[in-house]
Amino acid sequence: MGDALGSDLISDLPQSIIESILVRLPIRDAVRTSILSSKWRYKWASITQLVFDEKCVDTCSDRDVVEKTVVKFITRFLFLHQGPIHKFQITISYLQSCPEIDQWILFLSRNDIKELVLELGEGEFLRIPSCLFKCKKLCHLELFRCELDPPPSFKGFLCLRSLNLHQVLISPEAIEALISNCPLLESLSLSYFDSLALSIRAPNLKYLYLEGEFRDICLEDTPQLVEISVAMYMTDDIAEHFEQSADCNFVKFLGGVPNLERLVGHIYFTKYLSIGNDPGCLPIMYKNLETIELNQVSFEDMKEILVVLSLITSSPNLKELQISGSSNIPSATDAPDLDFWEKCPSKCRLSQLRVVHLTDMCGVPHEMELIKFLLGSSPVLEIMTIIPCVYVVESQLKMLTELVKFRRASAKAEIVFIRE
Amino acid sequence: MSEIDMAVIKPEMMKSYIWLQTSDGSIQQVEQEIAMFCPLICQEIITKGMGSSKNSAISLPQQVTPSTLSLILDYCRFHQVPGRSNKERKSHDEKFVRMGTNRLCELVSAADSLQLRPLVDLISRALARKIEGRTPEEIREIFHLPDDLTEEEKLEPLKNITDDPRIRLLNRLYAKKRKELKERERLKNVEIEEERVDERSVDDLLTFINGNDGDSKAVKTPKNKKKNRKKKDQQKNPSLKEDSGPEKKELNGHDTCDQSSDGNIIGETSNLTYEEDGTFSPKIDFDDGDMDDGIDPAIREKIDREVEDFARRINSDWAERMQDFLTSGRERTSTLSATNGNGYLRRHA
Repeated sequence: MGDALGSDLISDLPQSIIESILVRLPIRDAVRTSILSSKWRYKWASITQLVFDEKCVDTCSDRDVVEKTVVKFITRFLFLHQGPIHKFQITISYLQSCPEIDQWILFLSRNDIKELVLELGEGEFLRIPSCLFKCKKLCHLELFRCELDPPPSFKGFLCLRSLNLHQVLISPEAIEALISNCPLLESLSLSYFDSLALSIRAPNLKYLYLEGEFRDICLEDTPQLVEISVAMYMTDDIAEHFEQSADCNFVKFLGGVPNLERLVGHIYFTKYLSIGNDPGCLPIMYKNLETIELNQVSFEDMKEILVVLSLITSSPNLKELQISGSSNIPSATDAPDLDFWEKCPSKCRLSQLRVVHLTDMCGVPHEMELIKFLLGSSPVLEIMTIIPCVYVVESQLKMLTELVKFRRASAKAEIVFIRE
Repeated sequence: MSEIDMAVIKPEMMKSYIWLQTSDGSIQQVEQEIAMFCPLICQEIITKGMGSSKNSAISLPQQVTPSTLSLILDYCRFHQVPGRSNKERKSHDEKFVRMGTNRLCELVSAADSLQLRPLVDLISRALARKIEGRTPEEIREIFHLPDDLTEEEKLEPLKNITDDPRIRLLNRLYAKKRKELKERERLKNVEIEEERVDERSVDDLLTFINGNDGDSKAVKTPKNKKKNRKKKDQQKNPSLKEDSGPEKKELNGHDTCDQSSDGNIIGETSNLTYEEDGTFSPKIDFDDGDMDDGIDPAIREKIDREVEDFARRINSDWAERMQDFLTSGRERTSTLSATNGNGYLRRHA
């Protein structure tokens, strides 16, 4: 063993390469390199990216034992570590909130932490200690199932570029303040908040991801937004609140995002946008909007259809469109306001639209009118796929019959009707 | 003729070439657009204007040998073409890293010196795959690492996460060993001080027991701390076999002070060696001539036990003893014999 076959190939490489190798190993294997040779004894101890996952200790059937082992492992590791720690991630479902975590965060706050991800198991929410707010170099923060309570003296994370809060207990004022006090914030993700009413002020924000029950969202100052993805759940009282609201949600939400390139909406998003007074002609054009994906659109609600249409017609450079209907069985066969479609701007040209995917189509009149509109306005359309809703087997033939009648502006357009 | 016409007629003419010098001094010509894929070369061309002629060839860092340069250029040649799909690139990369560990390590070093981050990452991943899930022996063999850690260093419990039961057992023994070493040290220290005071008390004991027949000189010998003190003492005082033996043994108490049953063996702590296969072979350095000093082994054992007992008691009541020794005179001795040397006196009365 040893030197018989030749000289050491790897121990004298620069630490940056060694780190590059060690961070690609599971952390346990990285620590084990300490017994390889005398040069390798402490190489593992200077790695700057620490990721602790389910596999970092041996599991056994007793959850308490495993939890204790993991806590000991991480504590010992941090104690033996030397040098800065730029990334610290814990994604362990069997680890619950415990007092050691506070000590770890304190340790990290003294070691230039830049990226922190804490995803513990289901259970008591971890109350984040105040030392987190002293991490001046924090660039990326992801917290799952925690309680955040920024102290009044907290002036924001000046380097924070990305924030992801998932099931985090924090007061609305605190979260608004947190967002607006992070001047470099580019990516924001908020999920599973209860009835959040939020006004977002983030001049550098580019990516926004929201999921949960939101009572009210206003994108007050987000001119640089490039990508928005919203999954909006609704409870009865939120729905009530909506009925009473007079503001135009569409404008409040999408009124200030001229640079938008991609928009994705799920569940009640289009309904949310449809509430409020009719904006009439939309104030802005989304010149960069190339992808629109709207799911669970109710084609029985005229207002929702209007929202969809406004979006499409305000996006001259739209390339890809995806719409899915709500999978409710349609209640009425004849729909009101069909003549609205006659008034639709026929000179609207979707000159870049190439791909359209429609799913959960039930064949209701408004759906068919939309398809007709799309086919007639897209001169470069290449493919349109239609997947009918599984519940309406009888109307499929009817749908097909109507489809064939529609005029197509694009000679190349292929319509693919996919039946299960 | 326009530039485009020229390109159609003589495509080679339109490509510009860059001169690069590798670590061995040789200079070669490389298409500029491929070489520019390396940030370092790019920088040299743009900021320093180097590389346009043979004389101003860009001298590459010493980690870049001609063979590694050729591999790096192959990598760059593939990736600088913009039209390739992610799948194609990934497939190429996977094939690219299929080479000996030797070459991979050379290549990663060269790529790092040229600041070609994607290639460094690719090779790091390949090297990490060679380490993941392997035993230390396998890894040492792959990378030709010297096995130069002492067994002790390898066994240090804090770093040992492998959980091999054999290793756990060794750790435990090691910890025990350390504890005993510490005990020994402590008792040694206790003894040093004990001596000064005990000299008097032992003197008293002796006179009390022997009725002033005892050779007071005998008591002075145990000043040296050597291991074979036992032997020395016994040689000097054959007459005081049973009587003086115990006292000296009492002072030599540290030798038999440990709690475990394999007393004598573990006592010789520094003579143990751990073998790779997990067994340990005690080598007792200490002179076996000891066994021939004339004391009956059975009695010797009894004495050993008593001394052990005595030593233990001395250690625990040390502070109290100190007080006693310092405050009273003769009464002290009787206190001593009465409370501490019960068994002792009974046997020798």
